[in-house]
Amino acid sequence: MLTLANLNLHYDKTAGANTRNKISEKDSSTQVIFDLSLTINEGEKVAIIGPSGAGKSSLLHHIYQELTTRAALCSQRQGLVDNLSIYHNIFMGALARHHWLFNLVNLIRPFKQDLHDIAALCQQLELDQPLAKKVDQLSGGQRQRVALARALYQQQAIFIGDEPFSALDPLMTSRLLDTVLARHNSVIMVLHDRALAMSAFDRVIALDKGRLILDSQQQSIDQAQITALYQTSAIA
Amino acid sequence: MSQPKQPQQVLQLKKPQYALGYWQKVSLSIWLIALVILPFADIEIVNFDPFLELTRMVNGLVTPDFFATEYLLQAIMQTVNFAIIGVCLGLVLGAPLALIYQHPLVSSCCAFLRAIHEIFWALLFLQVFGLSPLTGILAISIPFAATFARVFHDIINQSSDSPLEIIDRRADIISRFTYGKIAQVMPQLINYTRYRFECALRSSAVLGFIGMPTLGFYMETAFRQGNYSEGAALLIIFIALIGTIRYWCPPKLLGVYLVIACVTLVDIPKVDSSLLVRFITQDILPPAIANAATLAEVQWSSLMTWFSALLSEQAIPGAIATITLALLALAATHFISLSTHMIASKHLWPAPLTWLGQFILLVGRSVPEYILAFIFLMLLGPSMLPAIVALAIHNGCVIAYLAVKQSNAIAPQQIQISKLNQFNYHIMPTIYPSMMALLFYRFEIIVRETAVFGILGIMTLGFYIDSSFSEIRYSNALVLITCTALLNVAIDIISRRLLKFEQTSQTSC
Repeated sequence: MLTLANLNLHYDKTAGANTRNKISEKDSSTQVIFDLSLTINEGEKVAIIGPSGAGKSSLLHHIYQELTTRAALCSQRQGLVDNLSIYHNIFMGALARHHWLFNLVNLIRPFKQDLHDIAALCQQLELDQPLAKKVDQLSGGQRQRVALARALYQQQAIFIGDEPFSALDPLMTSRLLDTVLARHNSVIMVLHDRALAMSAFDRVIALDKGRLILDSQQQSIDQAQITALYQTSAIA
Repeated sequence: MSQPKQPQQVLQLKKPQYALGYWQKVSLSIWLIALVILPFADIEIVNFDPFLELTRMVNGLVTPDFFATEYLLQAIMQTVNFAIIGVCLGLVLGAPLALIYQHPLVSSCCAFLRAIHEIFWALLFLQVFGLSPLTGILAISIPFAATFARVFHDIINQSSDSPLEIIDRRADIISRFTYGKIAQVMPQLINYTRYRFECALRSSAVLGFIGMPTLGFYMETAFRQGNYSEGAALLIIFIALIGTIRYWCPPKLLGVYLVIACVTLVDIPKVDSSLLVRFITQDILPPAIANAATLAEVQWSSLMTWFSALLSEQAIPGAIATITLALLALAATHFISLSTHMIASKHLWPAPLTWLGQFILLVGRSVPEYILAFIFLMLLGPSMLPAIVALAIHNGCVIAYLAVKQSNAIAPQQIQISKLNQFNYHIMPTIYPSMMALLFYRFEIIVRETAVFGILGIMTLGFYIDSSFSEIRYSNALVLITCTALLNVAIDIISRRLLKFEQTSQTSC
């Protein structure tokens, strides 16, 4: 599905996003990923872990660029449109499935079918808010679930998530993670919770300082190794 | 030998250096420039007895006569009609331009159109359409369309890109743009349009001064004839009209008002096409070209003499007077905005007093500079002084109004200090940069307005333009209008280069 060979990524400090990672100006950019090689197969559920600043988000966004036509992204920067309702924000996931005229009319008057689908999705994600509510009135956890719902509503085969549950409690996290895993053929997700990564995913890879340190496909990983990874990073 | 001295030198404290801050330098230079050019400016009080006039005006103000104006209702209606139709037409023309504004050709065209004041547009259209509503509507909608294009473009550009990144790339551009961008900035666009509507009402009233049947027409007549009671009544009605926009014209009713405006608009007389053709092919051409039958017959030397005479006798003196007046007005505006901000700040005064301050700000910003200048001219006689006072009051109040909005939102420091200390050490340092940014943004508007004051008799560019029109030398007027627009564009570019801080285009008017 995806093969990365000797990937080097640079983070452009001047721009907010790291979408254009060309080795252009050395002064304004720092390297975040070093010589990373990785192959992800169809149907795999991969968790990416590692200490803060390890380059996980950069790698994930690069993977999304590669898979963009087949994948739904749930980014840490949620990219919700504050002036739109919960319904419209989630509907944004379906924009590509409809004609622009349909989308425009829907902006003024929601269509029954989508209203029904999105209500069901919200129920599944335990989001018990009126669909007409504007998202700027929601709490952090609720916003995160709207962003998640929008990614799910893209109905893609691949789900790419950057800590999509960081504002939720552990129990809800594992329930929602099950939903995400069940609805997608392949999942690539940056996770904070190491134990959850080990238990719920087929494969765990660990990054540290922009390098691939551990890959459960190549070697068996135990808890001690991962703990060590976070500790060395904390000292350094 | 110098060895033993050294420890002493170390012990001796160096005189502490404290360099001026950036904003201190900027503020000081505004005032230095004003002081330097002050001796060259004509600011004497010409009226021999301003106090007599003042007492009559105050008398009028306390005894307003609301029934003196014969066509009051029609005047109000036409003022509102021009503003509504002008803004709507401006939106229809300007909003699509906002999408292609990044093209240099579009943005420079818009900058040029914007740089010509509504009154100059009206003077131009007056020659073609006469006193038809078309003149008023077009005079408002053309510069407004150019402003909408730029501001909408800025608003859309400044909005976050992150929703766009999330939307599926395969979605079509219209869906991506409406959901990811337009939906995001819609409240800002509506707010700005509402603000521009207020500006349009002011412009519409001012168009009365050149003969359009709006409130300004009756206001000018009343003041000129010394009917100050009637004039004061019209002024009060106008301020009330602007102060209560949000009650009588909520955005939802705009469509209804547009229909009413179109129905109640005075009849548009048939446009005489031969007049239009004559105006374009004959009247606005310089005599040397208009008199020549073919290109070969054009007397280039006489054309050049005409042009250079126009430039040296009218355009350049007019431009110098315009800039002088504008710079003096800038310093005065600085003073007024600081002092009126203090009057209306809730950090200094108890609530009832700040309401009074807010009311002063409302009055100051509701009355157009042009009308203020006109009133002060009646008081003080024709010199730069009334213009400076008028510009300072209007723009100072606009800046103070926005600054008060911002400073009232600041939470006071949680330490025990007096209100005055709180104000000087916490509130002012916090809002001063944005206040200065507003001030420089208003400078562009001050220059634009200064040029127009010429029509009132102050020797700025507008004076020469107005005389050209009344002497039926349209070619001269056109060249001078172009010069004025270029001056505005140049000042806009220079101030943008010099001051690289964030421009708040939200406050342009």
